[in-house]
Amino acid sequence: MKRKVMAAVLAVMAVSGLCAGCGQTKERVNEAGESVITVWSPTDEPAIEEWWVEKIEQFNEEHKGSIHLQREAIVRADSYAYEDKINAAITSNDLPDILFVDGPTVSVYAANEITLPIDDFFTQDDWDDFLDSSKQQNTYDGKIYAVGATESSVALYYNADMLHEAGIRIPTSKEDAWTWSEFYDAAKKLTKDDVVGTNIIMDKGEGLPYVLEQFWISNGTDLISADGSQADGYINSPEGVEAAEFLNSLIQEGCANIDPIQKEFHNGRAATMLGGSWEVATLENDYPDLNWGVTYFPIADDGGVLTSPTGDWSASVTKNAQDLDAVKEVMNFLFSKDNVTTYAQAISKPPTRASSYDVLTEYNEYPRSLFKEQLMETGHPRPRTPSYSVLSAEFSEAMLNIFTGVDAKEALDAAAAATDKDYNKYYAE
Amino acid sequence: MHVSVDKKSERKAAYIFILPAVVLLAAFLLYPALQTVRYAFTDYNIMRPDRIKFCGLNNFIELFQDKDFWIAVKNTLHFTVLVVPFQTVLALALALLISSRRKGVSIFRAAYFSPQVTSMVVVAILWTVLYNSNPSSGLLNALLVKLGMEPCGFLNDPKTAMNSIIFMSAWQGAGYQMMIFLAGLQGIPKDQYEAASIDGAGKWKSFLYVTLPGLKNVISYVIMITVIQAMKLFTQPYVMTKGGPQNATRTLVYYVYEQGFQKRNFGYACCVAAVFFVIVISLSIGMKKIIKAE
Repeated sequence: MKRKVMAAVLAVMAVSGLCAGCGQTKERVNEAGESVITVWSPTDEPAIEEWWVEKIEQFNEEHKGSIHLQREAIVRADSYAYEDKINAAITSNDLPDILFVDGPTVSVYAANEITLPIDDFFTQDDWDDFLDSSKQQNTYDGKIYAVGATESSVALYYNADMLHEAGIRIPTSKEDAWTWSEFYDAAKKLTKDDVVGTNIIMDKGEGLPYVLEQFWISNGTDLISADGSQADGYINSPEGVEAAEFLNSLIQEGCANIDPIQKEFHNGRAATMLGGSWEVATLENDYPDLNWGVTYFPIADDGGVLTSPTGDWSASVTKNAQDLDAVKEVMNFLFSKDNVTTYAQAISKPPTRASSYDVLTEYNEYPRSLFKEQLMETGHPRPRTPSYSVLSAEFSEAMLNIFTGVDAKEALDAAAAATDKDYNKYYAE
Repeated sequence: MHVSVDKKSERKAAYIFILPAVVLLAAFLLYPALQTVRYAFTDYNIMRPDRIKFCGLNNFIELFQDKDFWIAVKNTLHFTVLVVPFQTVLALALALLISSRRKGVSIFRAAYFSPQVTSMVVVAILWTVLYNSNPSSGLLNALLVKLGMEPCGFLNDPKTAMNSIIFMSAWQGAGYQMMIFLAGLQGIPKDQYEAASIDGAGKWKSFLYVTLPGLKNVISYVIMITVIQAMKLFTQPYVMTKGGPQNATRTLVYYVYEQGFQKRNFGYACCVAAVFFVIVISLSIGMKKIIKAE
């Protein structure tokens, strides 16, 4: 008898455990009757983690009894772990209210109606204060789907001692930036036994399209058409193939590593580096002995387009959000003038609000001024296409294939075909 | 009469006891497996769970013309065919080495087993550093250069990438099989060895005619589980190579992940998974038949 009872209890426990997991979507209200708003964003540096703790505490204090804000920090690593988590939440209809997404994926979520337009979340005055580069990246089909606090840019860092020793010219204005030939010659000249001339691989994931797309743009093309519907004829155009071959020449001649060691430039093992704006803070704080400088992103020979990468993570509102008024309140709080400024300061990235630059005066001085200048004048956001996830993965794969010996045209043709296939399958009218 | 009532109620109790396990298996194994087969016939994109359309055999037709799929099949077989004998022989050799009752042998036993208790992700990251193609940062290449040899591309060279993963996987996995072999070795009666030595058998002969036959069942079990594990190769390419360079390490399970989660073609990924399931099942049945026939 005892056994039977025990078995029955176990069975009931197992079955009830299952049912608890598949109930209706839960009301997002806590026991105190407060509307619970959840934010998902990638785990970040300690300074930013502290920023979140402080701001959430402040918000919850101010909105006691009505809104409770909470954040879940999700490990991103340099792979697609964050996206995997989002994918799972989409299938189970369990997305947070506010979801941080990387700039170019704003279009992907918008096109699939995972996120909602937020044009009416901010006043016109507020929108006017946000930089065009950021608004542009976050716009899809004429509507704004996300808002970010920070921007980013990439420029060419150089080891001043090595450049002086080799007698290499350092550009002083953006019109005067190194051409590809100059970049190549310098990298070649600077490559020594233990030092490579340059570092062009930020990481082997999103870092590849983020930095290297500029070589396509500078050469008069892009990875995909402006409306994001066709990659064939762009990524694999003659200009695109030329860009890929140029980058490959740096790898093949040993002027750049395909597997750079961690902090290669910082440790004096690379003479130059295509590095992000956030490296300024790292270099200042952790590598005080390195004599470094930073100059403009290289441009294609014979009048190439002046260009530089932009785009950063930004917050969007998902279709699973329930209390949109509360979400609006949170968004207005997180992206207020003050909070954009303090966030940008904590993460050492250029802010997205023009008014923040009045406070962050360091952006008026070199080296940060150079990134601000690039951002305002030469920045190009990454492609806005619902097929961006495929384009990004295919482009990375194509570049790594080229660097390990595949013909550039062949590799880029394959990337174009895969991207267009995805677009035509799901998004073509 | 009395007996049969007892039996009846015992049977009832037995059914109730297995109920939780059956319910859990049905919910977390059977149901998802059936769903996978169902989705294999749809155009399910993970971003649009509310717009799933039935598309007949389209996915399967596409699959059989998909070059990348066949490369993944080839890579998975390449890995399995090489890693299984290598790892099994390595495990057996280690087991023989430490089966003697000499002093200090337990230290070696722990040492050979330790990669097994370390998470594969950690091991893979460590080996990525060891395999770095640059002699100034990759330990193995530094060694090669010191010995006056050319540095090797390892994970960056399509010709060596898969073999590098095979070597590292066998190193990591052999400890587990070694333990199974050790248990098997202890099951061989000592008097058989004595008899063999009286008949004049040396070490090699007694290994060939006593140890191997005595381990027959254990060996077939080890081969079976290693094959199934090898077919599921995912972590190493995910962490170390992302399926590259030039598709050299894209395995079937990695391809399922890539299609389903990275490119969000969930329907197509389910189709690959279904075909993969058929491949693994037929391999297992085939192997069982061969082992039984012997």
